[in-house]
Amino acid sequence: MGLNYYHILKRIREARKLVIRGITAAGSGHPGGSFSMAEIMGCVFFKFLRYDPKNPLWEDRDRLVLSKGHASPGLFSNLAVAGYFDKSEIETLRKFESRLQGHPDFKCPGVEFCGGSLGIGLSFSIGMALAARVDGKTHRIYTIIGDGESDEGQVWEAAMTASKYKLDNLTAFLDRNFIQQDDYTERVMPLDEELIGDDISEMWKNAARWKTGDKWRSFGWNVLEIDGHRIEQIIKAIRSVQQTKGTPSIIVSRTIKGKGVEHMEDNPKWHGVAPNPKIVPIIDLELDCQFLIAPSIIAGDMTNLENEVKRAAQGRADFIHLDVMDGLFVPNKTFDHNKIKELRPITPVPFDSHLMITDPVKHVRDYVEAGSDIITVHAEVCDESSFGEIHDILRTNEVSVGLAINPDTELPQWADKFISELDQLILMSVIPGKSGQKYIESSHEKTQRITKFLAEKNFSGFIEADGGIDLSNIESCFLDGARVFVGGSAIIGQKDVRATVSEFRKKILHARRKLLIQKAHSLGGTELVNKWIDLHEVGKKKSELIQIAKEAGFV
Amino acid sequence: MTEMTDMRTVYGETLIKIGEENPNVVVVGADTTDSLKTKPFGKKFPNRFFNVGIAEANLVSIAAGLANEGKVPFASTYAIFLPGRCVDQIRNAIAYPSRNGKKGLNVKMVVSHGGLSVGADGGSHQQIEDIAIMRVIPNVNVLIPADTIAVSKLTWIISQIHGPFYMRMTRSKTSLIHSESQEFEIGKGIVLRDGSDCTIAACGITVQMALDAADSLKQEGISCRVLDMFSIKPIDSSLLEKAARETGGIVTCEEHNVLAGFGSAVSEVITETYPVPMRRIGVQDKFGESARDSEVPLLLQKHGITSINIANSVKDIRSKIR
Repeated sequence: MGLNYYHILKRIREARKLVIRGITAAGSGHPGGSFSMAEIMGCVFFKFLRYDPKNPLWEDRDRLVLSKGHASPGLFSNLAVAGYFDKSEIETLRKFESRLQGHPDFKCPGVEFCGGSLGIGLSFSIGMALAARVDGKTHRIYTIIGDGESDEGQVWEAAMTASKYKLDNLTAFLDRNFIQQDDYTERVMPLDEELIGDDISEMWKNAARWKTGDKWRSFGWNVLEIDGHRIEQIIKAIRSVQQTKGTPSIIVSRTIKGKGVEHMEDNPKWHGVAPNPKIVPIIDLELDCQFLIAPSIIAGDMTNLENEVKRAAQGRADFIHLDVMDGLFVPNKTFDHNKIKELRPITPVPFDSHLMITDPVKHVRDYVEAGSDIITVHAEVCDESSFGEIHDILRTNEVSVGLAINPDTELPQWADKFISELDQLILMSVIPGKSGQKYIESSHEKTQRITKFLAEKNFSGFIEADGGIDLSNIESCFLDGARVFVGGSAIIGQKDVRATVSEFRKKILHARRKLLIQKAHSLGGTELVNKWIDLHEVGKKKSELIQIAKEAGFV
Repeated sequence: MTEMTDMRTVYGETLIKIGEENPNVVVVGADTTDSLKTKPFGKKFPNRFFNVGIAEANLVSIAAGLANEGKVPFASTYAIFLPGRCVDQIRNAIAYPSRNGKKGLNVKMVVSHGGLSVGADGGSHQQIEDIAIMRVIPNVNVLIPADTIAVSKLTWIISQIHGPFYMRMTRSKTSLIHSESQEFEIGKGIVLRDGSDCTIAACGITVQMALDAADSLKQEGISCRVLDMFSIKPIDSSLLEKAARETGGIVTCEEHNVLAGFGSAVSEVITETYPVPMRRIGVQDKFGESARDSEVPLLLQKHGITSINIANSVKDIRSKIR
């Protein structure tokens, strides 16, 4: 089974937008904590949780308890995406006679716990878990608690009890976003250690200073510590706790409050404030502009691909891009599914397998079984029937579906019916076959044209730019419409992969900021540009944005 | 002297009988299971018995989670540690959650050691605010049985009907008030003595005082109606209204602060239905203190909670009526 990566990613994006929609309509609410747990919610809801929106109280369903109930928009939005109610209902959030109360409430179908008063949810979950045990049921209980919430003594009463009763059907997530209502957690009530000085980032950088996990370990829990925004880490952690017997598990998830919207990120002010409605279209665009970096390991040492995978993973790549060449579809040969199977145990980072092979429909199952999370096949060697078959195989196995076209190929007519279903479209900007080629300039125009075309066809996936991408052209590729960037020699060919990936991200971020400033300007002129820039209070974001706006002539 | 029986023993025995009939009944305790006599339930049904340690917030919240899954949890400890300490959890985890027309979660909070009669443990451990705390929380029902027969019957009843219940028992042994054949219904008071000159409404250990006062007044030619108002919420408004109408005055007596307690609950009904003079006997907004078992009557006397005071109040009211 693959990660179902894009399936989850798209739903997380949609849920975040619904959070903004709801809170804006309400004029109040908690975006910060809704966004810090967005990936956790997305993975639980769309990968693991067993539920039936038509029968919300189905006995054998898994239970999701949101103990940090103020993040209710983050729950309601996922319930809406999951189909419990119409998405438009999110606009009734916090309003009179709405089912979507300010905090989770049984009035809303799918809500398992009336949260809000903090510190209660884990105990409540223990009751659920004990009842399941009495009844011999195998459903699981997932509970999300906050780090600010962990100030409550009852959390630790519950920690002891779950351990005493060896509740292995209970999994807690700690949404460790380091911010509570008043201030940073380590200032209000240190969970790791007291923050000395003002630079909270020092605290985050040094994982050795994180002690929360040790607290839970000492209470007898199975503790996993992960980056709570990385889908593959969350999924790996949940898969692992499902195998853990005889002890409850907690997944301590390092997260960023307000994650996904730059001006909300890490800013305690966005714990519980609604955005200005004028800013919302800019936020929506920002949420649509999520980008991913996929280093291609064939640009490295082909005799030691294991090491290249490690370098990419340690370099914090979003995907590992695997170029499979069969010597037929392209003149070169690289490796096949057997190699992918060998590489798979090295890292949980998604495998983005790009099959440059003839007759992909014959081989696609091998690549699924080898552990690919995304599989992209070439339009040149597919037709409607074979791609349909490939699509179905991939979906059944929770592998994301990609289609690729060469520089001199256009999207075939038959692809139309798959566009809304497609997760990823690779636009090759070099002639495929070998690494190290120069970007074909006409690809810019082509990407722009196809982006426009796809938008009209309800494409909700991601365009992946592949071939000759480097620091000099990545910004324009982003502005063309690409959101995933394969880096061959420009990343894997570099000594310091981590620094290079970080450079890539900086460049794309710069382009994204430019795009958002343009959006602000088109919506409300200089005034709105200034207003939006002013929201970026934390760190150097504001001065950087002013610089970009100046360069663009908007301030 | 009438026979004295122990409420907790009867509670524990009743739970086992209920547990045999209803596999959904579970018991949750907080390091007082020996004292509350729920331990034998745990011996008999080890899988349905949970001792969560000295963690009352945890106790009631876990009970809520169990109830959410269709269990009928009885959560028990001392009065002082449950309503006072856990009002937030009781409100938000038990009383508030309502779905499909069912009000609140099906948790039975049954406590011992209510009121001043706790005695020796002292004022810190004498819960004289629980009626007030519990009855203002929507969806929560409040019961104070007067004897072990009431304890047994009410434990059965609340195990069979949905809703959050708070039931307060007394630490020390109590005399038998009711007969085995007495029927109990939530929301209905019981007329123990009929009378026409005044009404004495009581609950818990003050029911015996009310009967004693009525006996002594009878010798003076005053006929008192005595009500066991074990169901404080819901309260039997029509019985109270009838008593007001037919006897012209009401004296209440409780082992609780007179503010927002049982007497207040009665007066709320009386003022809106058939206003008559009332006297509320109870703790006059003060804390209690230690008293050994033999001294408990003195402690109660210090706070005016005696049959003599009830009788005097009846006479006082009657002087106002005339």
